[in-house]
Amino acid sequence: MKRRDFLKNASLASLSLPFVSNGFSMQAISKELFEYSKNAEDRVLVLIRMNGGNDGLNMVFPIDQYANLMVQRPNILIPQNQLLNLTSDVALHPKMTGMQDMFNNGKLSIVQNVGYPEANRSHFRSMDIWTSGSLDINQTSGWLGRYFDATYPNFPADYPNAGFPDPFAISMGSEVSTTCQGLMGNFSHAVNDPFNTSNLLLTNVTNDGTYYGSHIEYISTLINQTNEYGTAISASANAGNSLSNLYDPLNPLAVQLKYIAQMISGGLQTKVYIVNVSGFDTHDSQVDQNSLADGSHALLLEMISDAVSAFQNDLQLLGIEERVAGMTFSEFGRQIASNGSFGTDHGDAAPIMLFGSCVNTGIIGPNPTIDSQINQQAGVPMQIDFRNVYASILRDWFEAPEQSIQALFEQNISFLDVLTGCSVGIAEQEEQKKKPLAYPNPTPSNTTLRFYSQGEHYQIFIVDQQGKAIAQTFDGQLSSGKQEILLETSKLPAGHYYFLITSTNNRELVAFQKV
Amino acid sequence: MQVYTGPWTKAEAAHLLRRTTFGATNQQILAAVSNGMTATVNSLLQIPISSEPLAYDAGETIVPQGTSWVNAVYPATQTQNQQTENARFKSLGAWIAKNMNQEQLCIAEKMAFFWQNHFGVTATAESRAMYHFLALLRQNALGNFKQLMKDVTIDPAMLLFLNGATNNVFSPNENYSRELLELFSIGKGNQIATGDYSTYTEVDVAAGAKILTGYTVTGIRSSTETQATAIFNPILHDNSSKTLSYHFNSQVIPGAGATEYANYIDLIFAQPQVAQYICTKLYRYFVNYDITPAVQSDVIDILAQTFITNNYEILPVMQQLLTSDHFYDMSVRGAIIRNPIEMIMGVMNPTQTVPNFGLVGDYQTYISIYYVADTMGQSYIVPPSVAGWTAYYQAPAFSKLWINSTYIKKRFDIVSALVFSGVPIGSNVLKLNHLGFLNGLSDPFNAPQVIDDICDVFFPKAIDATDKLTLKLILTGGLPDFEWTIQYTDYSNDPTNIVVSNPVMQRMQALMNVILKMPQFQTI
Repeated sequence: MKRRDFLKNASLASLSLPFVSNGFSMQAISKELFEYSKNAEDRVLVLIRMNGGNDGLNMVFPIDQYANLMVQRPNILIPQNQLLNLTSDVALHPKMTGMQDMFNNGKLSIVQNVGYPEANRSHFRSMDIWTSGSLDINQTSGWLGRYFDATYPNFPADYPNAGFPDPFAISMGSEVSTTCQGLMGNFSHAVNDPFNTSNLLLTNVTNDGTYYGSHIEYISTLINQTNEYGTAISASANAGNSLSNLYDPLNPLAVQLKYIAQMISGGLQTKVYIVNVSGFDTHDSQVDQNSLADGSHALLLEMISDAVSAFQNDLQLLGIEERVAGMTFSEFGRQIASNGSFGTDHGDAAPIMLFGSCVNTGIIGPNPTIDSQINQQAGVPMQIDFRNVYASILRDWFEAPEQSIQALFEQNISFLDVLTGCSVGIAEQEEQKKKPLAYPNPTPSNTTLRFYSQGEHYQIFIVDQQGKAIAQTFDGQLSSGKQEILLETSKLPAGHYYFLITSTNNRELVAFQKV
Repeated sequence: MQVYTGPWTKAEAAHLLRRTTFGATNQQILAAVSNGMTATVNSLLQIPISSEPLAYDAGETIVPQGTSWVNAVYPATQTQNQQTENARFKSLGAWIAKNMNQEQLCIAEKMAFFWQNHFGVTATAESRAMYHFLALLRQNALGNFKQLMKDVTIDPAMLLFLNGATNNVFSPNENYSRELLELFSIGKGNQIATGDYSTYTEVDVAAGAKILTGYTVTGIRSSTETQATAIFNPILHDNSSKTLSYHFNSQVIPGAGATEYANYIDLIFAQPQVAQYICTKLYRYFVNYDITPAVQSDVIDILAQTFITNNYEILPVMQQLLTSDHFYDMSVRGAIIRNPIEMIMGVMNPTQTVPNFGLVGDYQTYISIYYVADTMGQSYIVPPSVAGWTAYYQAPAFSKLWINSTYIKKRFDIVSALVFSGVPIGSNVLKLNHLGFLNGLSDPFNAPQVIDDICDVFFPKAIDATDKLTLKLILTGGLPDFEWTIQYTDYSNDPTNIVVSNPVMQRMQALMNVILKMPQFQTI
């Protein structure tokens, strides 16, 4: 609600009498404002909400507890030899190969046993707790909404403006995100498709040829005209790029993450993106009883792993990897013991995943201890409070001061190092961007090579795994600066190769894969 | 136009209630379904007694807070007099919103607003006169229009508004005389010759002005008189004979003093165009803006005949219209865009969102609603001109005029405020009654049924099935339906425990924020 509208004195023009309005009184925003961190200005946080209560024990496996897991959940436990090892003690679900690679490349970390004291097993209440970042039943704002309120005062009345032309947060879908609910407005803007930024919350509006239809069409047009952010969003999406060919167009999360890559690379200054994946409420048929590594939960984990690894690949190709970090969360984990329907019921703590090239590599927190005795309804006990993770992200990623962060949360925060993996300065980041890059990669046909020329004569060769040059694909003078050259690779047999870029003073190798 | 005999389901009942009230609950719609069309229409066509507006603002220095000021004197000193008038005007503005928000389920407030728009009287700087004028309209909203026209003609508020109070034999003032013909009774037709508007001429305007001379108003904001009163002063009246134009068969109106105006109105109402004009306005307000040749011959002509046959009784016309097949035709469902106050009440009334902040808090809330409606283009107690709001007569846009890119934003702003944090008004906060609304639906345990009911309440036509599915997933937070059932069960077993009620409310907030911003909701 525009503050000035509320304060506007009613103009009773024809009355021509002095007229004092009671009007509306506004709640004063009296919080101390955050220092705005210039360093963190370009950073983006992507939240993946796993809706329904994710069974953490069927995603991140404590290998040292495997025997007791077999006691507790014999009908759903995936055979140990099918699991994807991350460390000697921890393994991933077999369908999460993309995320296993990310872990091995230092782009995925796992925080174990995340939850909150006295878990509430209602989906609705627990999701409210996770999105508000508070156990207080009366807390109506979201954790990011409070952060934004403290950082960008007078929202929404003073926004968008010249300094902040873009939405602070984008919630993919029809619903704004409760994580971004602020005092006077929600900081997130719901977007179904950034290339078609209709501000209509639902899409199926057509003029049926009646008077009603003509009104609906008229109002829809006006609603779209009032979409203050629509133009900025679609302009960014159109200006942006997506270079990875790993996105599966049938994977709905991949489609949304690709949109996000396009918006980020197109220059949208949005700081937070929220995507939702539903279906984790796996009371029955969580696994395929004939093949325990398959089933509904496996499909969801595969969707997330494939989509996130494609997204990470894209960010790397786009040269913006170090600007983006992500986190998954769910309202609760599930019970340790499985039920008779090849499923699991509502539980307590669960692991969350952080991704991006700036994560602190590895696994934070010990494996949960699984009892050999069946304790009906036992969940995984909380060891790391979710609010500490939130607070640490605000510190590490948005570089908010610890003292100001503490004011957003009700309990004493213990900070963890979660996203300090990129301590490189701006200059170094620029240097990173100048590294040569091939895309798409892997490629089914031709490949574009991007590199920075020193204004010399260049030759480019394709080199095989044994270091043998098998073809020359370029020979010529290049002016100085960024070059993007389409190279013939379509006839290569599938396999791993390098481009060798040579000039008088330079010699660089760029790996690529032909599929 | 025949009596409607088609299906009588929630869709038809809700359509009837949307057009005749400021918003019905799901239960009221279901009751209308089970009562049937005829009984429902009959129950809608009544005007219950309304209590008078009460003093609440500190500017009122004559009557105690919580008592009526409509028959009270004003303070003698100018400053206090003005403060008291300001306080009374706010009380009056709040009173209208209160009547709408707390209406008994009937046509009274919607019909009163029709006449308020029809006569277009703006504030007269005399809130007692304004109240009595509005009360006259409301009380006779379904009564005899010819008598109402006569009463309005010598009503103090109208005499002040259109200069009837200064129209005298020495300097006739044509203001009221012109609007009486052009806007209030017979309507202005095409200009067919200089000064000839098909239904009357300038001769009639001039003659009418003379006929209407002689009335003045006394007691305006008086510290001794409890009313502004219309007085007939024979010395100021032109008692000569006045000759009307050929449109009125060149009839002569002899001088007849205080009742001469009534003789003139009888002559005007002898013309069939009066019924045509009023029935067209009723049609545009209650059915649709577009008067096609078929609507003219099959609907307006028939209603006009009924109006004449019944000597200008309004009720039989409304009874015929609201039970007609045309009224329920799919082509006119959703054909009207809600005006601002209909939009605000259209959120509050079906959800039974009613302020309960005590006398002062309630009145402050209602006057704040007036201000909000004003920012959306409708200061509902101050029509933009004597012709009323343009949305009811301005072709070709008509009710589309209620919405532009600025106003739609403001509509969304008030929805956001009501749905989420509430609208702060002084020390009170007006919030949408999410849980009360939900609890009143036919089966709140059942997520698809919740969505069906809510769509029935807020949308004039069925919406796309995939949209309904999207709405349901917003309600359930993307979870399976049974999880919603469990959560609602927990809440209904322990309704005062906010640990189980808040999550339900949060889902309703997310849902209502979407529902009330859908274009479909903006139509009735």
